[in-house]
Amino acid sequence: MSEVVLRSEKVNKHFGITHAVKDVSLEFEKGEIHGLIGENGSGKSTFCSILCGIYPISSGSFFLNGIKIQPKNLVEANRKGVSIIVQEIGTLPGLTVAENIFLGEEEKFMKGPIKNTKAMNLEAQKLLNDFGFSRIKAASMIDNYSFEDRKLIEIVKAVYFNPEVVVVDETTTALSQSGRKELFKIIENIKKKGNTVIFISHNLSEVIEHTDRISILRDGELVGTVKTDEVNTDILKRMMVGRELGGRYYRTDYNKEVSKEIVLTVEKISVPGEMKNISFFLHKGEILGFGGLSECGMHEVGKAVFGASYKRKGKVFLANGTEINSITDAIHNKIAYASKDRDNESVITADTIKANICLPSLADLSKNIILKDTELNQFAQKFSDIMSIKMTGINQEVADLSGGNKQKVVLARWLGKDSDILVLDSPTRGIDVKVKADIYALMDGLKKKGKSIIMISEEIPELIGMSDRVLIMKDGKISGEFMRSPKLGEEDLISKMV
Amino acid sequence: MSENIAKFKKSKYYGYFLLIVLAVFFWAVFRTISPKNFGSNKLLFGYLQTSIQYAVGGCGFYFIVVMGLFDFSIGANVVLSSLVGVILSRQFGYWGLVLGCLLCGTLIGMFNGLLYSKLRIPSMIVTVGLMLVLESVANYVVTLDKSGFPGKLTDSNILAIGQAPWNFVIALVAFFLMAFFLRFTRMGTYCNAIGSNEYVAKNMGINVTRYKFLAFVLLHFFVGIMALLTVSYGRGMLAVTGMSSMDRNFPPLMGTFFGVAFKKYGCPVTAIVVGEFIITLIFNGLVAMNVPTTINDFVTGAVLLIIVTLTNRGRVNSVVK
Amino acid sequence: MTEKNEIEDNGILIKKQKTVTKMRTLMPLFGFIALVVIFSILTGGRIIDPRNLKLMLSQVYVLMIASTGVFMIMTVGGLDFSQGSILGLTSIVFCIVSRTNIILGIIAAIIAGALMGAFNGIFHVKFKIASFIVTICTMYLFRGLCKYITTNGPVPASLEVLSLNQTWFKILMTLMVLAIGFFFIHFTRLGYDLRAIGAGETAARFSGSRPNLIKFLVFTAAGAITGFASFINVIKVGSITGTAGRMLETQLLIALVLGGMPISGGSKARFSNIIIGTLTYSVLEKSLPMIFPVSATQQLVKGIIFLIVVALTIDHETLKVIK
Repeated sequence: MSEVVLRSEKVNKHFGITHAVKDVSLEFEKGEIHGLIGENGSGKSTFCSILCGIYPISSGSFFLNGIKIQPKNLVEANRKGVSIIVQEIGTLPGLTVAENIFLGEEEKFMKGPIKNTKAMNLEAQKLLNDFGFSRIKAASMIDNYSFEDRKLIEIVKAVYFNPEVVVVDETTTALSQSGRKELFKIIENIKKKGNTVIFISHNLSEVIEHTDRISILRDGELVGTVKTDEVNTDILKRMMVGRELGGRYYRTDYNKEVSKEIVLTVEKISVPGEMKNISFFLHKGEILGFGGLSECGMHEVGKAVFGASYKRKGKVFLANGTEINSITDAIHNKIAYASKDRDNESVITADTIKANICLPSLADLSKNIILKDTELNQFAQKFSDIMSIKMTGINQEVADLSGGNKQKVVLARWLGKDSDILVLDSPTRGIDVKVKADIYALMDGLKKKGKSIIMISEEIPELIGMSDRVLIMKDGKISGEFMRSPKLGEEDLISKMV
Repeated sequence: MSENIAKFKKSKYYGYFLLIVLAVFFWAVFRTISPKNFGSNKLLFGYLQTSIQYAVGGCGFYFIVVMGLFDFSIGANVVLSSLVGVILSRQFGYWGLVLGCLLCGTLIGMFNGLLYSKLRIPSMIVTVGLMLVLESVANYVVTLDKSGFPGKLTDSNILAIGQAPWNFVIALVAFFLMAFFLRFTRMGTYCNAIGSNEYVAKNMGINVTRYKFLAFVLLHFFVGIMALLTVSYGRGMLAVTGMSSMDRNFPPLMGTFFGVAFKKYGCPVTAIVVGEFIITLIFNGLVAMNVPTTINDFVTGAVLLIIVTLTNRGRVNSVVK
Repeated sequence: MTEKNEIEDNGILIKKQKTVTKMRTLMPLFGFIALVVIFSILTGGRIIDPRNLKLMLSQVYVLMIASTGVFMIMTVGGLDFSQGSILGLTSIVFCIVSRTNIILGIIAAIIAGALMGAFNGIFHVKFKIASFIVTICTMYLFRGLCKYITTNGPVPASLEVLSLNQTWFKILMTLMVLAIGFFFIHFTRLGYDLRAIGAGETAARFSGSRPNLIKFLVFTAAGAITGFASFINVIKVGSITGTAGRMLETQLLIALVLGGMPISGGSKARFSNIIIGTLTYSVLEKSLPMIFPVSATQQLVKGIIFLIVVALTIDHETLKVIK
């Protein structure tokens, strides 16, 4: 039982300047269910994605049964005996169930150029039956099946060829009670066959219930590996989170009263599939933090406040009663938004810094619809300087900038608009420490000027360090509220998230 | 019971059912309006013959459209392949015609596919340029026809290809080939995969470039078959310039849109064939109503637009260019 | 990677990009000059002979005016294949209404064009159908109407209209449209919005450009502008047949591409694309018959040049997945 099947040696992964996985050396034993936990951004998904060929490795190696492996894509990884069930959707609509299961592996059904579809369908059905899913018909289009069924088909696809290592990446969140039961049955079967499961999950009680050993990652580094019977959820939480808060440049003030003046009211907003009946107030000069797991709905709250949600019910309105129902409303009423998906929703990467900074303010800068180029240049230059953007000039394309500087462009634009309410979603994600400090200082400065900020973040220390108040969301609802205090700890927040 | 109905609604048979209902509906409408000039058995037979010509092209087009690509040079291919076929038929009789059309078509497909992969230009744009080039080449090819009537077919042996039963035989062979490709080769699966999500497909180890190239080859091979039928029906072919060949692109495309719309029922080939038949019904129905032929284009545009609006809309938050 | 290395690497990358961008903007101009030089030699100097100027420019006017509208559509990343049919139909409208009053005729043509453009806009923006598909359908739709109206013969223009067929007048009208276009694109927020939407529609939406509204307006405006171009078209041509304006859309596409216009629009679109492009295309159109008398050869050369130019000027970074 203690034979090592998979070993990683000093695996590193860089995405630009972000060091997502740092020198991770781990061992996985044959026939074990090995839990892998950590906060958002701890590197656990990235680590497994490298193993399965989704990302290329930056440095270090994986050894399967003593032999080094470096698969270039999923199919190659499968052939080596490693597979993954991803978090998002891993099947393709427009194909049949059988085609999806055998995608990339049609060779065993080929006679020359001819594909024996009948045999493929039969084999696929047999597999589905073996797994207990005989209600799913191999020959029908996968489009006819629910998201959960498609996940189950994906599981069959990842597991049918008895790979030695199967990664289950936060799959349980997508499944119902019965789906989860099926999944754990399959996982137990894999173990019985002497193969290994790497189980990534945020649900700590689930992890404790089903694993033999657990490894904890934090900030891309391995904290340690423990035997499941020797720990409980509290110990795990402490290991996930324990760190020095030093060098993070958060606010150092406490016990300062936040104004009672309400600038924004959010009343019972719902977006189907994302959030239900969310209500809260935003006060003048307040930094209101939102925390939770990735899928808790908090990111959608930011969009809703900015008027960018489709199918939103409920009301968002300012102190003077103006309702915010579209992006135009929001910008006109001095609400700003920095998205988590920076490259697609915040900056126009294929355009210049100047254009990006000036865009929301064009109406203000025009005199009777006429724009003067020199004025735009001055405007862009002024706010680039205020934000100290590292650039070659305002006509540089944003795509060339680092993540931190891109974010500075976003903030520069809203400073230019003199926005009163700023919704910042993951403002320091993927940004180096120095720029992070700049952004925190900026937030503090804005607060002192009476601007109000909604900060949505998956980084708990940031929430604790910067917010006057933190709202925690879980499964689309607000599950907890915490006030700023030097005694506020990460475990407190996490307890309301999971 | 309701569960069975729901199951039926998703199956292939529902697709067939819908197609038949549509065909009968349009036939009935126009038959009622102009019983004398429309829809008798003899006329229906004629409509069928016309429609299979475009259905063959529509089949080839399907591979390309499903992948998200486009090709404006189909019409030019029809012209060029027809002329090559005619020239070869002078020496080799009807085999010359058949081989000429098919080989020329396939070669054009390889040329298009190669240019698309090497130049890395969007398919829409590169095929506009190719259309210009192919039309010009066709004009040269005509000059190679040393018979007294360049581009014309007069030999009744050869013209038999355009008449029953041979035209049906050719069309049926094409349809079976199409169904075969879709069901029994990887091409069918990969076309759908690449069209669905090219990034994921690549990750699964699918050689996207190679399959896009093959899609062009297949498209123009089927267009070669369409050329064979077109030149036989038309007793010859005229070389054109000035992008007039564009007009030949759209009749097959309408069938393709039917095929794409019915893809989810799993019966694309039938949808293309019946779809083309329905389009032909509509056109002939309007003609029978003495709607002037000059309004033909208007009808083409309107029908295409209606089909597309009903079947190809983007989702609410998608970006459509 | 240390920050210093990053700055150095970035510096080299940026220098490279600056040269590429400079080349990009100057290449069409060089191309135009090179073309004029080459064709001057090949035609024995005929194309730069001032006596042939009127001939050389004869097709430029309609093309340049219509390009102003299509330029905007292409900047946001769309395509319009119905331009030729719009030209045909609006020309007919002008002919008919101008018999009463020329200015009324122009207004009527502009309104007709705007309505057709708006039709395109609605199907593209509201029903979210790709612009090239919508405009291929409307190309046939409008063309059919054109052919139907001219069933019994071409629609002639009044003599009063024909008397306006003078070079100075046509140049004046063209310059007027160009000036208005230039003003809106350079001196109002329109240019910025167009480029932003073409470069990144989602982010542009989040930054306050209103993509749906702008795209609708742009299609409508392009229709209206082409409606105005029909005025010049009728002056030149005299009477309108069912196939009037045929192929304008493809000529426009080729012209703009030759002028350096990026296929998917975006921030690198420049007003100069219109001017250099239409001039280059006109030179090509008029010179080719002088060198290659066979029209098929002319077309072959045109096609090859088009393919070469597109291959050289396509911006691979913004096109991540090439369809």
